[in-house]
Amino acid sequence: MGDPKEITTIQATTILISTIIGVGVLPLPLFAVRAGETSAPFVTLTGIFLAALGLFILAYLGMRHPQKTIITYSQDIIGKWLGRIFSIFVICFFLVLTSLAAREFGAVVVTGVLRETPLEVTVIVMLLLASISCRNNINVFSYIHNFYVPMILAPVLIVVAFSLKNANPLYLRPVFLGNDLRGMAAGMLTVSALFQGSFIITMIIPSMKSPNKALKASFWGILISGGLYLLIVIATVAIFGPEEIKQIFWPTLELARTTAVPGNILQRLDIIFLAVWVLAVFTTLFSSYYFTIHSLKELFQLKDHKMLSYFIMPFVFFLAMLPQNILHMYEIIQYIGRAGLLITIMYPAFLLIIDFLRSWRRKKNVAKPT
Amino acid sequence: MSLFRKKKRNVKKPQLLTPSKALEKKGDTPTSISLMVKIKEVKELLGNNEDLQIKEFKIFGQYPAASVCLSSLINQDVLNQDILKPLMYVPEHLKGKEKPLNELVHLIVTETVYHSQAKVAEGKEQLIELMLRGESVIFIDGIKDSIHIDTRKIEKRSIAQPETEQVILGPREGFIESISTNIALLRYRLPTPDFQVKTMKIGRLTKSTVAICYLKGIANETVVKEVEKRLSEINIDAILDVGYLEQFIEDNPFSPFPQTQSTERPDKTVANLIEGRVAILVDGSPFSLLVPVVFNQFYQTTEDYSSRFLMGSFVRLARILALVFSLVFPSLYVSLISFNPELLPTEFAVAVAGGRAGVPYPAVIEVLIIEVSMEILREATVRLPKQVGGALSIVGVLVIGQAAVEAGLSSPITVVVIALTTIGSFATPTYTAAFALRMLRFPIMILAGIFGLYGVMVGVIFIFNHMLSLKSFGVPYMAPVSPEDSQGMKDVVIRSPLWWMPKRPEFLRPSNQNRLGLNDNKVLEHNKVGNDQREDAANGGSKGDHNYSSDNDLN
Repeated sequence: MGDPKEITTIQATTILISTIIGVGVLPLPLFAVRAGETSAPFVTLTGIFLAALGLFILAYLGMRHPQKTIITYSQDIIGKWLGRIFSIFVICFFLVLTSLAAREFGAVVVTGVLRETPLEVTVIVMLLLASISCRNNINVFSYIHNFYVPMILAPVLIVVAFSLKNANPLYLRPVFLGNDLRGMAAGMLTVSALFQGSFIITMIIPSMKSPNKALKASFWGILISGGLYLLIVIATVAIFGPEEIKQIFWPTLELARTTAVPGNILQRLDIIFLAVWVLAVFTTLFSSYYFTIHSLKELFQLKDHKMLSYFIMPFVFFLAMLPQNILHMYEIIQYIGRAGLLITIMYPAFLLIIDFLRSWRRKKNVAKPT
Repeated sequence: MSLFRKKKRNVKKPQLLTPSKALEKKGDTPTSISLMVKIKEVKELLGNNEDLQIKEFKIFGQYPAASVCLSSLINQDVLNQDILKPLMYVPEHLKGKEKPLNELVHLIVTETVYHSQAKVAEGKEQLIELMLRGESVIFIDGIKDSIHIDTRKIEKRSIAQPETEQVILGPREGFIESISTNIALLRYRLPTPDFQVKTMKIGRLTKSTVAICYLKGIANETVVKEVEKRLSEINIDAILDVGYLEQFIEDNPFSPFPQTQSTERPDKTVANLIEGRVAILVDGSPFSLLVPVVFNQFYQTTEDYSSRFLMGSFVRLARILALVFSLVFPSLYVSLISFNPELLPTEFAVAVAGGRAGVPYPAVIEVLIIEVSMEILREATVRLPKQVGGALSIVGVLVIGQAAVEAGLSSPITVVVIALTTIGSFATPTYTAAFALRMLRFPIMILAGIFGLYGVMVGVIFIFNHMLSLKSFGVPYMAPVSPEDSQGMKDVVIRSPLWWMPKRPEFLRPSNQNRLGLNDNKVLEHNKVGNDQREDAANGGSKGDHNYSSDNDLN
């Protein structure tokens, strides 16, 4: 913990943005359309609000305990052993999240670009990249995120901007209630599950220069990443229409494929898009990987997290290889994602309530004798 | 090992660990009183040398004495005219005065010798060392103290234009080998008492003078201390160039990226000092070493700042493009050709395929062959004498390139790609940084051959992550991009107009940040007459224009 507290608010914001934007960019319109048909953007928006709620709870909790991460302050709030048990759940969940992100990435690369390369190789290369980068301290972690954010945002914005000329606004109507409510609610959960990376904020707050600005950072983080997600959904739905999207696995990739750069510099954009998307995946993977080993370090009260970085790689790889095929993988992803909301939203909310109660009781106890 | 430890303990003494240790054994004992003994002792140590010059004479015709020096190092004229003459021939004002033996040394130093660098010392070790540095020592019979006078004269070349960093606009001076000249070049540009030069001696045999230059009140004190600390920990026999120091003080010696900047230009050194950096000079090296550095300064030149804003920015953009080219262009080519030819416009793809028709190797092998031969060619042209070099590059580039294409070793497009890459790497102004990218090109090329664009991306991410994790004397290497710094960002991609940058870059954590004076200068306001575009302050930066450089001091 000897690192100086140097993470600025902008860095915290960029960490959130680049962590949130990840593998989910590709299947997002599909999830949204399945749930809400033409009101996919609305479903996305509600999902973003739910995710924002979870993030704000976390940021607020962090600001109440500015020296600690969720692993350590949960032990203060709900007791040492209960806190540790819940922390183990959190760590396991992020371990799974890391491996699923790696697997999803591998699946896209194998289907989209390198058809003859074995899935294992692409996944291992990505995991190696993440685990080597994880050996740095938390300041370097924030530099890395901060550096890549413009490169993550730019290609998506370019693709959306160039493709909008084919848009058909009719595909977006009706805006609300394009589907039955239950389906839309389920979709909302799936979409907000894509924002689970924002859990990283609890790890950053103790290293921030001014932890009381965490709420501001998370607001901007969710605004920019959520805005981008919304933009993608609107663009894809407006261009392909809900029926078409249901036939495609990765509508965003398809969007990039239909886009042409003026001047015929490059015949197709999708490969370039995928290449830059590797960056987005890397930052997400990097975050969840880092969170896992950093939390493990805190749980076991170790001095250094470097050694853990290689140590957990086989586990991540093993978990990544478990799903049998793409369909199975996306089933798991949706299931794990929704279940994960229990950990990423309900658990912090629970902590916050107990924390409130405790401080209220403490105040009352203090007030009585005087 | 025990030898080193012993040295560390008495580090205060001038280090002298000559291999024969003849001097060490004697230690730093005072010389004896007798002149004969003193001369004998010097002869014992230096007697084998042809250039040891011992001249015995009588001071004021009275006291026997001897001047001892190494004739190859000294200026004989100074010795004869300014030292020996007034000593042997009693000066006017001293005639008739009493000259007692116990006041003789004082009398000589203050009233007789015409030399500003006359000093008194008694340690034998110290005297010998001074003699080896070109001073003349005067032993006097019956006195323990000896007088040593700086009569050093070393041949040096004249100040010339720097060979490696040419500019079109800007000063033409370059550093030379002599450190005193180099410091003079810096002082000439920085006539301020804040300019500090600390010196130390490094190298057991070479005892090279190392100067740490910085601006007090601007440079960060912790950086200066860190530089001193790292330099004082060096224990090596020889420092022949500033590059030796670089390897001892850099943060990550195994990184391909340079973590210090060496420059031949005094103006660049001064510009960096003013930004808050520390410069290290070594006697015998025409380079100064600047720390801490960030990556973006490797593609900046002094010319960017001396030319107008648009010019400087345009050239800088071109240079950044060249930098990117030199790193990824061949690997992009490889991955497009062998993995994703569908990205290319159809006509071009057909042309590429036609060119590659006769080539038996896969694209990555072909590119690697040509790249390696290009590296050999480049190294050869550097080593060859100038007269041959031109001829060789013509033979190498034109003839071999043409022949390789005709022989079916490579396709014409490959040659074009490699040529562009090579030219791109020449456009990077700093040799060391260009070299880093030159080396890193090969692993990326191999990755591109295996994984296509995905491989290129992984390679690039890997390199960037490494760069982001580097630090140079506590300053993150990729600052001011990440960690972000709005003042520094104005000078990264474009070179903003000077009045847009009123503060020094914050990432160097300078003690004083104000570069421009406050808005109390009216010079540019007067220039506005008749130029209605700059009439009001909201109209493009005229509010910040009020800098004045006339009589403000540097702070």
